[in-house]
Amino acid sequence: MNSIVTVISNIIAIYRRELQSYFASPLAYGIATIFWLLASFLLIILVFGPQGLLEQSAFADQAGLQSAPLDLPYEFTQFYLGLLGSLAMFVLPALSMGLYTDERKQGTLELLATSPITNWAVALGKLLGVVTFFLTMVLPLLVLEALIVGASDPPFDLNLLFIGHLGLILMAAGVLSLGMFISSLTESTVLAAILTFAMVLVLFVLEGVASGLEGPLGEAISHLSLLKHYSDFTQGVFDLGGFVLFLSYAVLGLFLTAQSIEAFRFQRN
Amino acid sequence: MIEVDQLSKAYGSTLAIKDVSFKVEPGEILGFLGPNGAGKTTTMRILAGYLPATSGTARIADHEVHTDSMAVRQSIGYLPETPPLYPDMTVEAFLYFVARIKGVPIGDRSQRVASAMERCNLGEKRRILIRKLSKGFRQRVGIAQAIVHDPPVIILDEPTVGLDPKQIIDVRNLIKSLAGQHTIILSTHILPEVSMTCDRITIINQGRIVATDTPENLTARLAGQLGYAIEVAGDPERANSVLNDLEQVESVTALSGEGLAENHYRFQLVSATEDDPGSEIASAIINSDLGLYELSRNRVSLEDVFINLITEDPSTAEEDDSETEPCEAVVDDDPENDDPTKAEAEPDDEAALVAAAEPPTDSAADPADQTPEDSAEQDTPAKTDE
Repeated sequence: MNSIVTVISNIIAIYRRELQSYFASPLAYGIATIFWLLASFLLIILVFGPQGLLEQSAFADQAGLQSAPLDLPYEFTQFYLGLLGSLAMFVLPALSMGLYTDERKQGTLELLATSPITNWAVALGKLLGVVTFFLTMVLPLLVLEALIVGASDPPFDLNLLFIGHLGLILMAAGVLSLGMFISSLTESTVLAAILTFAMVLVLFVLEGVASGLEGPLGEAISHLSLLKHYSDFTQGVFDLGGFVLFLSYAVLGLFLTAQSIEAFRFQRN
Repeated sequence: MIEVDQLSKAYGSTLAIKDVSFKVEPGEILGFLGPNGAGKTTTMRILAGYLPATSGTARIADHEVHTDSMAVRQSIGYLPETPPLYPDMTVEAFLYFVARIKGVPIGDRSQRVASAMERCNLGEKRRILIRKLSKGFRQRVGIAQAIVHDPPVIILDEPTVGLDPKQIIDVRNLIKSLAGQHTIILSTHILPEVSMTCDRITIINQGRIVATDTPENLTARLAGQLGYAIEVAGDPERANSVLNDLEQVESVTALSGEGLAENHYRFQLVSATEDDPGSEIASAIINSDLGLYELSRNRVSLEDVFINLITEDPSTAEEDDSETEPCEAVVDDDPENDDPTKAEAEPDDEAALVAAAEPPTDSAADPADQTPEDSAEQDTPAKTDE
């Protein structure tokens, strides 16, 4: 019992330190700013821009096409969260790249490795920290969304938005965890970022690959695709398969990170 | 408290340390002294459980450092070669963090952190970000994180690197004040450091322990022998071999030639016996057409003992113990084995010198008796020993 308390206390210590380092890092603020600017820009274009949702809807009204009315809230959530997901793919590698490379550069890995704390507790604390930071990056966007939701007629189904955002965070957790593993492999932050970005691209395009393949292999590969499961979430469907997949990516990343740090200590010279 | 037994560590085919064994008693300060690249950091890292050893065992507080790593981690404080610091944290926040992951109970944390900061004179810097601190203060934060959880065993790898003289004295006093309740092992390549702070000294060279003793006993090993500083002009290799060939000289060390005129070289000699070799040295230099510019007698210091031990050991080992020869060869390949004149002059000349110098040193003892005793002690090159 006592040991569980210790482990939890350790995880919290790492978590708080990790979060604290994001909030003290100009780079993290820079990444967050770019993310906010792009996301709000996309949001505005999506709603008000040429061929935006409002224009489409006005056009539909004018043409008097009553037979197939646009479900605007639905269209909006799907497009907007889809864009946000793609945007996140660029941002997440930048968040995870420094998770372990910095520890190596500062020599603090030696402190962690000689303290009574397990590798996986460190990894879990770090993952929770970076996911929390991503969450705080998404939060301000909720203000913009609230404006649109408030002005919407017919009213929004809030479940739709909630499930979509849940999907976004879960997917981010999976990607960040794998990115953390990659950052544990190298001392170079830039290399970690590039490799993580490449991995994200591969996970993203898997669906394209899968659709070219027939039979069970294609199906299996398509199940690994981030995009496929994520788009289920953005359509307001709680996709249990996707939930399990994102969680599996996160656990896999944690496991590999703990292993690679252990192996690093054995091989280094 | 710390027991190290036959510890070896190989990086690929290079042996970093070989058969290192020593013990540290509770409450003692052991100095781990050796030139750069001798294997000090490797030994420290194995003790701290950061690196696994290739063979041999190390136990801290009766726990094996590798198999029982978590138990060992709880009882050590460790300052690595580069202090492990998070630049974006304040000193105080960092020490709180360390106290927390070291398992200091929540109620004791603020008191432990305050006491560590006070001991390391960090009070005025407590709210400063670590990245804004100077090297000396960072080093002190490094020491503070090693003692913040009040561990029974403290491992300090080069604790005074980067400090100014005043800070060095502070740190030495701090280390001394920790003795008694804590068992301390500290590594350094600075001699005065160990002679001032440590109860016992272990000297390591090229990955092997060459001596473990108190500072007084180590100095006594060369007691009676005389040191000479000499400046010559001419071919340095020739000077080295001429000096080495002298029966009355036990060891020759090339010193740095900084500030000397061109073609001038300095050497430090230690006499083989109590007989003053001054005139022999002078005539040998002059007879071999080398210019003699300075010859001054000095007291044998701990430094001479150190240099004597670390420069002489390979030849002694080679002579005594043919078993270790392969390892010796590997270690010699080490790029950190720097000085070419030293390396070249030593093995053969020294071996011959030792063989020649030994019988007259102690006419009462049979040379045949001496040899096995030497190999039993293996790493004790002090020839005045009975």
